[in-house]
Amino acid sequence: MTEKKWFPIIYMFIITAVFSFVLIGFTNFTSARVAANQRLAFEKAVLAVLPGLYPEGEKISSLDLHQRFVDKVLPPDETSGGAYTLRDSGKLIAYALPISGRGFWAEIKGVIGISADQKTITAVSFYQQNETPGLGAEIAKPEFRKQFHGKVILFSDKPLAFKRPGEQLDAHSINAVTGATQTCTRLEKIINDALINWQKQVKPEP
Amino acid sequence: MNRNNKKVIHDALWQNNPIFGQVLGICSTLAVTNLVLNTMVMCLALIFTLSFSAVSVSILRRFTPRNIRMMVETLIIAFYVIIVDIMLKAYWPQMSENLGPYVGLIITNCIVMGRCEACSNSCAPAPALMDGFFNALGYTFVLLIIATFREVLGLGTFMGFAVPFFSGPYWDKWVIMVMPPGAFFMLGIVVWIFRAIQLRKE
Repeated sequence: MTEKKWFPIIYMFIITAVFSFVLIGFTNFTSARVAANQRLAFEKAVLAVLPGLYPEGEKISSLDLHQRFVDKVLPPDETSGGAYTLRDSGKLIAYALPISGRGFWAEIKGVIGISADQKTITAVSFYQQNETPGLGAEIAKPEFRKQFHGKVILFSDKPLAFKRPGEQLDAHSINAVTGATQTCTRLEKIINDALINWQKQVKPEP
Repeated sequence: MNRNNKKVIHDALWQNNPIFGQVLGICSTLAVTNLVLNTMVMCLALIFTLSFSAVSVSILRRFTPRNIRMMVETLIIAFYVIIVDIMLKAYWPQMSENLGPYVGLIITNCIVMGRCEACSNSCAPAPALMDGFFNALGYTFVLLIIATFREVLGLGTFMGFAVPFFSGPYWDKWVIMVMPPGAFFMLGIVVWIFRAIQLRKE
Protein backbone atom coordinates (compact mmCIF):
# COMPACT_ATOMS: atom_id res chain seq x y z
CA MET A 1 0.00 0.00 0.00
CA THR A 2 2.82 2.37 0.84
CA GLU A 3 4.00 2.14 -2.78
CA LYS A 4 0.79 3.60 -4.17
CA LYS A 5 0.88 7.09 -5.68
CA TRP A 6 -1.95 8.38 -3.50
CA PHE A 7 -0.45 7.11 -0.27
CA PRO A 8 1.72 10.17 0.56
CA ILE A 9 -1.29 12.46 0.11
CA ILE A 10 -3.56 10.43 2.37
CA TYR A 11 -0.73 9.99 4.86
CA MET A 12 0.01 13.71 5.04
CA PHE A 13 -3.67 14.46 5.36
CA ILE A 14 -4.15 12.05 8.26
CA ILE A 15 -0.99 13.18 10.09
CA THR A 16 -1.95 16.83 9.75
CA ALA A 17 -5.48 16.17 10.95
CA VAL A 18 -4.33 14.22 14.01
CA PHE A 19 -1.75 16.79 15.12
CA SER A 20 -4.07 19.71 14.42
CA PHE A 21 -6.83 18.16 16.50
CA VAL A 22 -4.53 17.82 19.48
CA LEU A 23 -3.36 21.42 19.08
CA ILE A 24 -6.90 22.74 18.79
CA GLY A 25 -7.69 20.92 21.99
CA PHE A 26 -4.69 22.47 23.70
CA THR A 27 -5.56 25.95 22.49
CA ASN A 28 -9.15 25.65 23.64
CA PHE A 29 -8.07 24.30 26.98
CA THR A 30 -5.78 27.26 27.64
CA SER A 31 -7.54 30.05 25.73
CA ALA A 32 -9.51 31.29 28.72
CA ARG A 33 -6.33 31.44 30.74
CA VAL A 34 -4.41 33.25 28.03
CA ALA A 35 -7.18 35.81 27.63
CA ALA A 36 -7.37 36.28 31.40
CA ASN A 37 -3.60 36.80 31.56
CA GLN A 38 -3.79 39.50 28.93
CA ARG A 39 -6.70 41.18 30.61
CA LEU A 40 -4.94 41.04 33.97
CA ALA A 41 -1.75 42.52 32.55
CA PHE A 42 -3.79 45.47 31.30
CA GLU A 43 -5.62 45.93 34.59
CA LYS A 44 -2.35 45.78 36.47
CA ALA A 45 -0.91 48.50 34.25
CA VAL A 46 -3.95 50.73 34.80
CA LEU A 47 -3.81 50.29 38.58
CA ALA A 48 -0.07 50.96 38.56
CA VAL A 49 -0.44 54.43 37.05
CA LEU A 50 -3.33 55.58 39.23
CA PRO A 51 -2.13 57.10 42.50
CA GLY A 52 -2.20 54.80 45.54
CA LEU A 53 -3.94 51.81 43.93
CA TYR A 54 -1.02 49.49 43.26
CA PRO A 55 2.27 50.56 44.85
CA GLU A 56 5.43 49.26 43.16
CA GLY A 57 6.45 45.89 44.60
CA GLU A 58 3.18 45.16 46.42
CA LYS A 59 2.42 41.43 46.69
CA ILE A 60 -1.19 40.77 45.79
CA SER A 61 -3.01 37.83 44.25
CA SER A 62 -4.35 38.08 40.72
CA LEU A 63 -7.91 37.72 41.96
CA ASP A 64 -7.61 40.59 44.47
CA LEU A 65 -5.99 42.72 41.81
CA HIS A 66 -8.87 42.13 39.43
CA GLN A 67 -11.36 42.88 42.21
CA ARG A 68 -9.57 46.14 42.99
CA PHE A 69 -9.74 47.14 39.33
CA VAL A 70 -13.47 46.41 39.20
CA ASP A 71 -14.12 48.30 42.45
CA LYS A 72 -12.07 51.42 41.88
CA VAL A 73 -11.51 52.09 38.20
CA LEU A 74 -14.25 53.53 36.03
CA PRO A 75 -14.38 52.77 32.30
CA PRO A 76 -13.90 55.60 29.76
CA ASP A 77 -16.85 58.01 29.69
CA GLU A 78 -17.86 60.92 27.41
CA THR A 79 -15.68 63.48 29.20
CA SER A 80 -12.53 61.44 29.75
CA GLY A 81 -11.34 61.30 26.14
CA GLY A 82 -10.95 57.53 26.06
CA ALA A 83 -9.14 57.30 29.38
CA TYR A 84 -10.13 55.18 32.37
CA THR A 85 -10.76 57.29 35.45
CA LEU A 86 -10.35 57.14 39.20
CA ARG A 87 -12.97 59.12 41.14
CA ASP A 88 -13.58 59.73 44.80
CA SER A 89 -17.33 60.17 45.34
CA GLY A 90 -17.70 61.71 41.90
CA LYS A 91 -14.69 64.01 42.07
CA LEU A 92 -12.05 63.15 39.52
CA ILE A 93 -8.64 62.14 40.88
CA ALA A 94 -6.76 60.83 37.87
CA TYR A 95 -6.96 59.54 34.30
CA ALA A 96 -5.41 56.33 32.98
CA LEU A 97 -4.93 56.64 29.24
CA PRO A 98 -4.20 53.41 27.29
CA ILE A 99 -1.60 53.85 24.56
CA SER A 100 -0.38 51.52 21.85
CA GLY A 101 1.67 51.57 18.71
CA ARG A 102 4.48 49.94 16.82
CA GLY A 103 7.76 49.50 18.67
CA PHE A 104 11.02 48.30 17.15
CA TRP A 105 10.09 44.60 17.07
CA ALA A 106 6.42 44.45 17.90
CA GLU A 107 3.54 46.45 19.26
CA ILE A 108 4.10 48.34 22.51
CA LYS A 109 1.05 48.72 24.73
CA GLY A 110 0.94 50.71 27.92
CA VAL A 111 -0.97 53.14 30.10
CA ILE A 112 -0.22 56.75 31.04
CA GLY A 113 -1.58 58.13 34.29
CA ILE A 114 -2.51 61.81 34.26
CA SER A 115 -3.70 63.74 37.29
CA ALA A 116 -6.94 65.76 37.48
CA ASP A 117 -5.24 68.97 36.26
CA GLN A 118 -5.03 67.17 32.88
CA LYS A 119 -1.33 67.95 32.42
CA THR A 120 0.76 66.32 35.17
CA ILE A 121 1.81 62.73 34.56
CA THR A 122 1.43 60.49 37.60
CA ALA A 123 3.09 57.36 36.20
CA VAL A 124 3.62 55.29 33.09
CA SER A 125 3.40 51.54 32.76
CA PHE A 126 3.81 49.05 29.89
CA TYR A 127 2.00 45.74 29.75
CA GLN A 128 3.05 44.52 26.35
CA GLN A 129 6.37 45.02 24.62
CA ASN A 130 8.81 42.87 22.73
CA GLU A 131 11.83 45.14 22.59
CA THR A 132 15.42 43.87 22.78
CA PRO A 133 16.08 42.50 26.28
CA GLY A 134 18.63 44.65 28.09
CA LEU A 135 18.18 47.56 25.67
CA GLY A 136 14.76 48.57 24.37
CA ALA A 137 13.10 46.43 27.01
CA GLU A 138 14.54 48.80 29.64
CA ILE A 139 11.52 51.02 28.96
CA ALA A 140 9.49 48.65 31.11
CA LYS A 141 11.92 48.91 34.05
CA PRO A 142 11.11 51.22 37.00
CA GLU A 143 14.35 53.25 36.51
CA PHE A 144 13.13 54.45 33.13
CA ARG A 145 9.46 54.80 34.00
CA LYS A 146 10.14 56.81 37.18
CA GLN A 147 11.37 59.66 35.00
CA PHE A 148 7.80 60.36 33.94
CA HIS A 149 6.55 61.10 37.44
CA GLY A 150 5.48 64.71 37.77
CA LYS A 151 6.34 65.70 34.20
CA VAL A 152 4.01 68.31 32.73
CA ILE A 153 2.67 67.76 29.24
CA LEU A 154 2.57 70.74 26.88
CA PHE A 155 -0.13 71.89 24.49
CA SER A 156 2.04 71.60 21.40
CA ASP A 157 2.92 69.11 18.70
CA LYS A 158 5.30 67.50 21.21
CA PRO A 159 3.71 67.33 24.65
CA LEU A 160 6.63 65.33 26.04
CA ALA A 161 10.17 65.21 24.64
CA PHE A 162 12.69 62.36 24.77
CA LYS A 163 16.24 63.69 25.08
CA ARG A 164 19.58 61.98 24.65
CA PRO A 165 20.79 60.03 27.69
CA GLY A 166 22.51 62.39 30.11
CA GLU A 167 21.18 65.57 28.55
CA GLN A 168 19.76 68.36 30.74
CA LEU A 169 16.05 67.93 31.36
CA ASP A 170 13.17 70.32 32.00
CA ALA A 171 9.65 69.67 33.27
CA HIS A 172 8.52 68.43 29.85
CA SER A 173 11.26 65.95 28.93
CA ILE A 174 12.86 62.68 29.93
CA ASN A 175 16.08 60.84 29.01
CA ALA A 176 15.95 58.11 26.39
CA VAL A 177 17.57 54.68 26.95
CA THR A 178 21.19 54.22 25.86
CA GLY A 179 21.52 51.91 22.87
CA ALA A 180 17.77 51.81 22.22
CA THR A 181 17.34 54.66 19.76
CA GLN A 182 14.76 52.86 17.63
CA THR A 183 12.59 51.86 20.58
CA CYS A 184 12.74 55.33 22.10
CA THR A 185 11.98 57.17 18.86
CA ARG A 186 8.92 55.02 18.34
CA LEU A 187 7.84 55.19 21.96
CA GLU A 188 8.11 58.97 21.88
CA LYS A 189 5.80 59.01 18.87
CA ILE A 190 3.34 56.59 20.47
CA ILE A 191 3.16 58.66 23.66
CA ASN A 192 2.92 62.02 21.93
CA ASP A 193 0.32 60.89 19.40
CA ALA A 194 -1.80 59.50 22.21
CA LEU A 195 -1.42 62.63 24.35
CA ILE A 196 -2.24 65.04 21.52
CA ASN A 197 -5.27 62.99 20.58
CA TRP A 198 -6.37 62.88 24.20
CA GLN A 199 -5.90 66.62 24.72
CA LYS A 200 -8.28 67.19 21.82
CA GLN A 201 -10.98 64.90 23.18
CA VAL A 202 -10.93 65.34 26.92
CA LYS A 203 -13.47 67.75 28.39
CA PRO A 204 -12.71 70.04 31.32
CA GLU A 205 -13.98 68.70 34.63
CA PRO A 206 -16.87 70.68 36.12
CA MET B 1 25.58 1.79 29.54
CA ASN B 2 27.04 0.18 26.42
CA ARG B 3 29.74 1.67 24.24
CA ASN B 4 27.37 2.79 21.55
CA ASN B 5 25.39 4.94 23.96
CA LYS B 6 28.57 6.42 25.33
CA LYS B 7 29.62 7.36 21.84
CA VAL B 8 26.25 9.05 21.16
CA ILE B 9 26.58 11.12 24.32
CA HIS B 10 30.22 11.97 23.69
CA ASP B 11 29.41 12.99 20.13
CA ALA B 12 26.41 15.11 21.07
CA LEU B 13 28.05 16.94 23.94
CA TRP B 14 31.59 17.26 22.67
CA GLN B 15 32.96 15.75 19.46
CA ASN B 16 30.07 16.72 17.22
CA ASN B 17 28.44 19.36 19.43
CA PRO B 18 25.55 21.12 17.62
CA ILE B 19 27.03 24.58 18.22
CA PHE B 20 30.79 24.30 17.87
CA GLY B 21 30.94 21.00 15.97
CA GLN B 22 28.07 21.19 13.51
CA VAL B 23 27.55 24.96 13.83
CA LEU B 24 23.76 24.62 13.72
CA GLY B 25 21.09 26.62 15.55
CA ILE B 26 23.24 29.73 15.54
CA CYS B 27 20.31 32.09 15.00
CA SER B 28 18.81 31.42 18.41
CA THR B 29 22.26 31.25 19.97
CA LEU B 30 22.81 34.83 18.92
CA ALA B 31 19.30 36.01 19.67
CA VAL B 32 18.36 34.79 23.14
CA THR B 33 21.65 34.68 25.01
CA ASN B 34 21.71 38.16 26.51
CA LEU B 35 19.89 37.11 29.68
CA VAL B 36 20.63 33.81 31.42
CA LEU B 37 17.03 33.19 32.50
CA ASN B 38 15.67 33.62 28.98
CA THR B 39 18.39 31.35 27.66
CA MET B 40 17.50 28.68 30.19
CA VAL B 41 13.81 28.65 29.25
CA MET B 42 14.73 28.64 25.58
CA CYS B 43 17.03 25.66 26.12
CA LEU B 44 14.35 23.76 28.06
CA ALA B 45 11.96 24.40 25.19
CA LEU B 46 14.53 23.02 22.77
CA ILE B 47 15.22 19.94 24.92
CA PHE B 48 11.49 19.24 25.01
CA THR B 49 10.97 19.80 21.28
CA LEU B 50 14.05 17.92 20.14
CA SER B 51 13.47 14.89 22.39
CA PHE B 52 9.83 14.45 21.52
CA SER B 53 10.09 15.16 17.83
CA ALA B 54 12.96 12.68 17.62
CA VAL B 55 10.77 10.00 19.19
CA SER B 56 7.74 10.86 17.05
CA VAL B 57 9.70 10.88 13.82
CA SER B 58 11.28 7.60 14.82
CA ILE B 59 7.92 5.96 15.58
CA LEU B 60 6.50 7.06 12.24
CA ARG B 61 9.65 6.24 10.26
CA ARG B 62 8.33 2.97 8.79
CA PHE B 63 5.16 4.56 7.43
CA THR B 64 6.43 7.92 6.28
CA PRO B 65 7.03 7.94 2.52
CA ARG B 66 10.58 9.10 1.80
CA ASN B 67 9.62 11.86 -0.60
CA ILE B 68 7.47 13.73 1.91
CA ARG B 69 9.49 12.96 5.05
CA MET B 70 10.72 16.53 5.54
CA MET B 71 7.19 17.88 5.40
CA VAL B 72 6.14 15.39 8.05
CA GLU B 73 9.17 16.23 10.20
CA THR B 74 8.46 19.95 10.02
CA LEU B 75 4.86 19.30 10.97
CA ILE B 76 5.89 17.25 14.00
CA ILE B 77 8.45 19.83 15.11
CA ALA B 78 5.92 22.64 14.72
CA PHE B 79 3.43 20.64 16.76
CA TYR B 80 5.73 20.45 19.78
CA VAL B 81 6.90 24.04 19.45
CA ILE B 82 3.33 25.30 19.41
CA ILE B 83 2.60 23.30 22.56
CA VAL B 84 5.55 25.00 24.30
CA ASP B 85 4.38 28.38 23.02
CA ILE B 86 0.82 27.87 24.24
CA MET B 87 1.99 26.62 27.65
CA LEU B 88 4.25 29.64 28.13
CA LYS B 89 1.47 32.02 27.09
CA ALA B 90 -0.97 30.43 29.54
CA TYR B 91 1.24 29.75 32.55
CA TRP B 92 4.23 32.09 32.24
CA PRO B 93 3.07 35.12 30.22
CA GLN B 94 6.03 37.22 31.33
CA MET B 95 8.54 34.77 29.90
CA SER B 96 6.47 34.33 26.78
CA GLU B 97 6.84 38.06 26.22
CA ASN B 98 10.55 38.06 26.94
CA LEU B 99 11.25 35.36 24.38
CA GLY B 100 8.92 36.91 21.84
CA PRO B 101 9.16 35.28 18.43
CA TYR B 102 12.10 33.04 19.30
CA VAL B 103 10.02 30.20 20.73
CA GLY B 104 8.19 29.92 17.43
CA LEU B 105 11.49 30.05 15.60
CA ILE B 106 12.60 26.76 17.20
CA ILE B 107 10.65 25.23 14.30
CA THR B 108 13.38 26.41 11.97
CA ASN B 109 16.21 25.58 14.36
CA CYS B 110 18.48 23.47 12.20
CA ILE B 111 19.50 21.26 15.11
CA VAL B 112 16.01 19.78 15.33
CA MET B 113 15.66 19.11 11.63
CA GLY B 114 19.29 17.99 11.51
CA ARG B 115 18.83 15.34 14.20
CA CYS B 116 15.56 14.12 12.66
CA GLU B 117 17.33 13.67 9.34
CA ALA B 118 20.59 12.29 10.68
CA CYS B 119 19.27 9.91 13.29
CA SER B 120 15.56 9.69 14.10
CA ASN B 121 14.29 8.60 10.71
CA SER B 122 16.67 5.65 10.62
CA CYS B 123 16.72 4.33 14.17
CA ALA B 124 14.42 3.02 16.91
CA PRO B 125 12.60 5.39 19.32
CA ALA B 126 14.88 4.82 22.33
CA PRO B 127 18.19 5.64 20.64
CA ALA B 128 16.44 8.51 18.81
CA LEU B 129 15.28 9.95 22.13
CA MET B 130 18.78 9.70 23.53
CA ASP B 131 20.32 11.30 20.51
CA GLY B 132 17.81 14.15 20.55
CA PHE B 133 18.06 14.75 24.27
CA PHE B 134 21.83 14.86 24.42
CA ASN B 135 22.15 17.01 21.35
CA ALA B 136 19.79 19.49 22.98
CA LEU B 137 21.93 19.29 26.11
CA GLY B 138 25.02 19.98 24.01
CA TYR B 139 23.29 23.09 22.71
CA THR B 140 22.18 24.06 26.20
CA PHE B 141 25.53 24.06 27.92
CA VAL B 142 27.22 26.15 25.22
CA LEU B 143 24.36 28.67 25.27
CA LEU B 144 24.50 28.97 29.03
CA ILE B 145 28.24 29.73 28.90
CA ILE B 146 27.65 32.43 26.31
CA ALA B 147 24.68 33.88 28.17
CA THR B 148 26.52 34.00 31.49
CA PHE B 149 29.39 36.00 30.02
CA ARG B 150 27.06 38.32 28.13
CA GLU B 151 24.80 39.10 31.06
CA VAL B 152 27.56 39.51 33.64
CA LEU B 153 29.83 41.65 31.46
CA GLY B 154 27.03 43.59 29.80
CA LEU B 155 24.53 44.19 32.60
CA GLY B 156 26.44 43.26 35.77
CA THR B 157 23.76 40.74 36.74
CA PHE B 158 23.29 36.97 36.74
CA MET B 159 19.70 35.68 36.40
CA GLY B 160 18.65 39.22 37.29
CA PHE B 161 20.65 39.36 40.54
CA ALA B 162 23.43 41.90 40.87
CA VAL B 163 26.90 40.35 40.73
CA PRO B 164 29.47 41.90 43.11
CA PHE B 165 32.08 44.03 41.36
CA PHE B 166 30.45 43.78 37.92
CA SER B 167 27.41 45.72 39.12
CA GLY B 168 29.57 48.16 41.12
CA PRO B 169 30.96 51.53 40.13
CA TYR B 170 34.42 50.16 39.16
CA TRP B 171 33.05 48.12 36.31
CA ASP B 172 32.08 50.10 33.25
CA LYS B 173 29.34 47.84 31.83
CA TRP B 174 30.11 46.56 28.35
CA VAL B 175 26.74 47.38 26.85
CA ILE B 176 27.89 45.95 23.52
CA MET B 177 27.84 42.47 25.09
CA VAL B 178 24.04 42.43 25.35
CA MET B 179 23.67 43.88 21.87
CA PRO B 180 23.81 41.65 18.77
CA PRO B 181 27.53 42.26 18.09
CA GLY B 182 28.35 40.95 21.57
CA ALA B 183 26.70 37.66 20.63
CA PHE B 184 28.93 37.31 17.58
CA PHE B 185 32.06 38.03 19.62
CA MET B 186 31.12 35.57 22.35
CA LEU B 187 30.08 32.84 19.93
CA GLY B 188 33.30 33.27 17.97
CA ILE B 189 35.43 33.09 21.10
CA VAL B 190 33.58 30.05 22.48
CA VAL B 191 33.79 28.13 19.19
CA TRP B 192 37.46 29.05 18.93
CA ILE B 193 38.32 27.85 22.44
CA PHE B 194 36.40 24.58 22.19
CA ARG B 195 37.72 23.78 18.74
CA ALA B 196 41.27 24.51 19.87
CA ILE B 197 40.88 22.04 22.74
CA GLN B 198 39.40 19.47 20.35
CA LEU B 199 42.24 19.86 17.89
CA ARG B 200 44.88 19.63 20.57
CA LYS B 201 43.37 16.34 21.80
CA GLU B 202 43.46 14.93 18.30
